[in-house]
Amino acid sequence: MKVRRLTHLGLLVAIGLILSRAATGQTPAAGAAAAMKPFTEKIPGSLVTFDMVPVPAPPGGRPFYIAKTETTWDAYDIFAFRLDLTQEQGANVDATSRPSKPYGAPDRGFGHKGYPAGSIPHQAAEAYCAWLSQKTGKKYRLPTEAEWEWVATAGKPAAAAPLAKADLDKAAWYWDTTEEKTMAVGTKTPNAWGVHDMLGNVAEWVTVGQGKPPVVKGGSFLDKAKDLYPKARLPYQPAWQESDAQNPKSKWWYADGPQVGFRVVCEM
Amino acid sequence: MASDKTAVSRRSFLHRSAVAAAATAGTGSALLSSGNYAFAQGSDTLKVGVVGCGGRGSGAASNILEADPATQIVAIGDAFEDRAKGCRDSLTKQKPDRVKLPDDRVFVGLDAYKKVIDSGVDIVILATPPGFRPLHLKAAVDAGKHVFVEKPVGVDPAGIRSVFESADRAKQKNLAIVAGTQRRHENRYRETIKRIHDGAIGDIVGAQCYWNQGGLWMHKRKPEWSDAEWQIRNWLYFTWLSGDHIVEQHVHNIDVINWAMNAHPVKALGMGGRQVRTDPAYGHIFDHFTIEFEYPNGMKMLSMCRQIDGTASRVGESLVGTKGTSNAASNIKDAKGQTIYRFEGSNPNPYVQEHVNMIASIRAGKPLNEGRQVAESTLTAIMGRLSAYTGQEVTWDQMLAMPIDIVPAKVELGPLPVAPVPVPGRTKLEDFIARTA
Repeated sequence: MKVRRLTHLGLLVAIGLILSRAATGQTPAAGAAAAMKPFTEKIPGSLVTFDMVPVPAPPGGRPFYIAKTETTWDAYDIFAFRLDLTQEQGANVDATSRPSKPYGAPDRGFGHKGYPAGSIPHQAAEAYCAWLSQKTGKKYRLPTEAEWEWVATAGKPAAAAPLAKADLDKAAWYWDTTEEKTMAVGTKTPNAWGVHDMLGNVAEWVTVGQGKPPVVKGGSFLDKAKDLYPKARLPYQPAWQESDAQNPKSKWWYADGPQVGFRVVCEM
Repeated sequence: MASDKTAVSRRSFLHRSAVAAAATAGTGSALLSSGNYAFAQGSDTLKVGVVGCGGRGSGAASNILEADPATQIVAIGDAFEDRAKGCRDSLTKQKPDRVKLPDDRVFVGLDAYKKVIDSGVDIVILATPPGFRPLHLKAAVDAGKHVFVEKPVGVDPAGIRSVFESADRAKQKNLAIVAGTQRRHENRYRETIKRIHDGAIGDIVGAQCYWNQGGLWMHKRKPEWSDAEWQIRNWLYFTWLSGDHIVEQHVHNIDVINWAMNAHPVKALGMGGRQVRTDPAYGHIFDHFTIEFEYPNGMKMLSMCRQIDGTASRVGESLVGTKGTSNAASNIKDAKGQTIYRFEGSNPNPYVQEHVNMIASIRAGKPLNEGRQVAESTLTAIMGRLSAYTGQEVTWDQMLAMPIDIVPAKVELGPLPVAPVPVPGRTKLEDFIARTA
C-alpha cells in the first residue's frame, strides 16, 4: 500500500516538473513592474499552492513578489518530511539539505493544515527557499529587512507607527487575540497591499545584509500589542532552543520557538 | 455525588502529601547533623560523573555546568568508545576549564558505570538507556552519591521496585535524587499546578494527556555490531531498553497528571499496536497506544501516544475540574471558558533549573528526593504498556506484586534474540516474568 502510494507520488513529481517547466514561460513574466500580476505557485509534485503578490519597487530596489501569507506547514512538510521523494530517496538524501526528524511536535498541536510553519531556524528557512527555487525553477528567497518593512507598511516605512489597538485586533494574531497559539494564515484582515499576518502569528525571518545576523520581524502570537509594529525586530535568541535536551542542539528545529517562521519572496 | 466523592478523596490526597512533606522535612533535619553533605558548602567544587554519553547525557552534562560555576565534569562512561570520546570532545570544547577528562577518566564498556561512580565524584548523572537505570541507581546510592537520574527510571515492575528501594535508601542517607521530568522544575507548570492544588478548577474529574508525533532516529545495523550492540545503539526500539515509547516519552505527560492529582492511577485499560513502523530495524515496540488510567477516586485520565510519520501531532496535558479547566502548563479557565489565569512570568530553562534546584538542595543539606515520584510515574506508563500488550485491564497491585522483569539478567555485547511483538489477547503478563525468577 505504502509502496504504491509512493510510486504514485513519484509520478506526480514527474508530471509536476513538466507542468512547472511549461508554466515558467507565463509567470512571473520578466517584464516591467506594471505588468506584474499576482500568481499562484504550485509546488510541483503536490497539490499545495500559495499566492504571490506583486510589490512595487522600494526606493533604490527592484519590484518583487511576496507571499500573501506566511509559509504554511502544508508547503513546509513537503520539504521537511521529504514527501516529494520515495522512501528510499528520502533515506539517502544529504543530511545537510533537509531537516532531521523533529523530537516532539514542532507544530505544538496548534493546528497544521493552513497554519504557519514554526520552530524554524534561519538556516532551515534558507534551505527551504533553495529547495523551492530548485523545484520551481524560480528564484525564491527570504525578504530583506527593507523589503519586509516596505510591504508591512504598504510603501510607507518612514511613517511606520504602531497600529491603533482596534486595527491591530483586526489585523493580527497576538496576545490579545489568540491564546498562546498560532492561527490559520490569511484569516485576519490583509494590509493595503493584500498581504496577511505581517504582524503577529509567527515572527518572520528576514536577511539584514552581508555579515550581519538575520532577524525575525513583526512580532508573534506570543507578543503583546506594544511589541507588534513594522520596525519590531529580534535576532536569534538562545531561549528558542534552550530546552533542546540534546547535545548538540538541533540545527533544524527550535525546541522553544514555535513562534518563529517565515514567508518567501520571489525575484522577477 | 461524584464531586462529593472526589472532594473527600482529594482532601485525603492533600493530607497524604502534607504528611509526606512533613516526613521529608523531618528526615532532612534529623540528618542535618550527620554531615553527609560537607562538600556542598558554598562554592566548594562539585565533581560530576556522567554515565551514558548519548545526546541526553552530554546535554545533561552541559546543563549542570551551566547550572553552577562550581561544577566540574571529572569522569564519563559509555558502553561504546565512540560515544564516550565524542562526548568528551564536545564538552571540552564548551567548557575547557571545567571539563577534566584525561583518557583514564573516560570509561568504556557495560561496566563503565561502576568506574564512574568509584572515581571520587560527588554527583552522578545517569543517562543511559532506561533499562539499565535501576541497576545504576542502586550502585550510585550504595556508593553514597547524589544522583541526577534521567526519565524514565526503569522499564519493568521489578526495576521500578528496585528504584523505590533506592529512593528510600537515598532518603535515609540524605542523598539527592533529582529526575529528568523537567516539567516539575518549570515555572509555568509550577505556577499553574499550584493554583490547581489550591482549588482553582475545583476537584479534578477528568484528564487527558498526549505525546503524538512522527518517528524518531534509527541507526542502520553495521555488520560488525553484535545483537546487543545493535539493540543498545537503537535502544528506543527495544522494550527491555526503552520501555517502549509510552514509557520513554509519554511518561512526561503522565507525570504531570500524577502531579496534579497528587496520586498515581490504580489501574489501566489500554490498547495499542505496531501498525506502520513494522520494519525489524525498529525492533519490536508499538507505534501507538491509547490508555484509560483510573485514579483512586475514580477519576479517569485518557492518555494517547503515537510515533507515526505524517500524522497529527500533539504534546501536552489537560485537566477538567468541577469549576474549570486547565492545560496544566500556563492557562486556567472557569467553567464558562473564560480565562482566569495566564502564566506571564519568566520560564528559565527547566533542563538547567532542575540541576540548580538539585545543587541548592544539596548545599542546604536538604537534598531533593524525587525518586519515588518519578518511579511512580514510570510505573504508571509501564502499567499502561502492559495493558495494551496483553489487551487486559492491569492493576497497580499486580505491578507491585508480580516478578515482571524483562531486562536480561546479564547483558553482554553478544548474541541476543529479539523478543516477539506482543499480541493483545494472546500475550500474557506471565510472559514477561523473568525466566530466572
